Amino acid sequence: MDNLWLGLISGVLFGFVIQRGGATDADEMVKAHLMADGRVPKFMVAAVALSALGLFGLQSVGVGRVMVLPVSIVATGLGAVIFGIGWGISGYCPGTCWAAAGEGRMDAIFALLGGLVGTLLFAQLHETLIPLLYLPTSMGPVTLTDWFGEPGGVLALFVVFSVAVWLIGLFWGSPAEE
Amino acid sequence: MNNERYWGWVPTSIALTGVILFIFATFGPPASSSGFVTTLKGVLQPLSPEYVAGKEHYAMMPGPGSWLMTFVLGMAIGGFIGGRTMKKKIHDVPEIWVKNFGGSRKKRYITTFIGGILILFGARLAGGCTLGLFISGSTQLALSGLYFGIVIFAVAMITARIVYKKYGKGVL
Repeated sequence: MDNLWLGLISGVLFGFVIQRGGATDADEMVKAHLMADGRVPKFMVAAVALSALGLFGLQSVGVGRVMVLPVSIVATGLGAVIFGIGWGISGYCPGTCWAAAGEGRMDAIFALLGGLVGTLLFAQLHETLIPLLYLPTSMGPVTLTDWFGEPGGVLALFVVFSVAVWLIGLFWGSPAEE
Repeated sequence: MNNERYWGWVPTSIALTGVILFIFATFGPPASSSGFVTTLKGVLQPLSPEYVAGKEHYAMMPGPGSWLMTFVLGMAIGGFIGGRTMKKKIHDVPEIWVKNFGGSRKKRYITTFIGGILILFGARLAGGCTLGLFISGSTQLALSGLYFGIVIFAVAMITARIVYKKYGKGVL
């Protein structure tokens, strides 16, 4: 029961923050994809950089639960390509369409319904596609710590993501400052 | 009036980090595409328990009485509160869509419906979405999250350039 309340509270906070960040607004998302406005990708990438440092701190005092998903060259890559096409044409991703539907955006409600259909399709094909595409090229739950060691992995991520934020600032437009 | 601005990237990233770390501390890696499986499991279970029991993709996810379910419902509530407390017009059809394809709602709704099918099919194949794989994964330094993140951004950027040909001054 506690878990249900925690989920609800977490969802409300998350939904509110992404709404205020404009991630539920497909106009903002399309502008981000067209490199016309770097605000949304900047906060996404910066939040990961900060969260990685924060999670490292939490873990070092024994707080928090982690679960690293395996990487499959073919399934993760192909899934990402299909996802990217859907994200590019609609401006919604699975999380933002819940918050955007709650906000009252009708096109997001259709994205959510389509999402249920996509899930139904994949669940139907799971037994065929996972052994075919996922398992053969799975490398297991590899992390940067496996490559760069204990503080090395998290520092590498922080540096690379910080540089990414700077590059987005350089190459994306910023209409707010015009 | 009608043009309140969204938060800048600095306050948004700090607030988002706070929420993400709260979730890691109280639950574990946040995820939202899993919530679709959970929702569907809740719908299908009463209709055909045998179908759900025989399908690995439903067996691996908890049903609607779970954190995953209340999280996505909470997101809808959070979006609702956000939308109601902000002085900014909410569009059913985005402005950039209208500039490119006109004001037909039907066209836009069919497109986002297809987009929805693609994002969830892709996310379930990869094992997660922008949140569950890119944000959660990369926060945990997972190669899966970083790889997924790079590909989705690259493909979405190319797709948007093909779909939304009219952009730039006067459109955005």
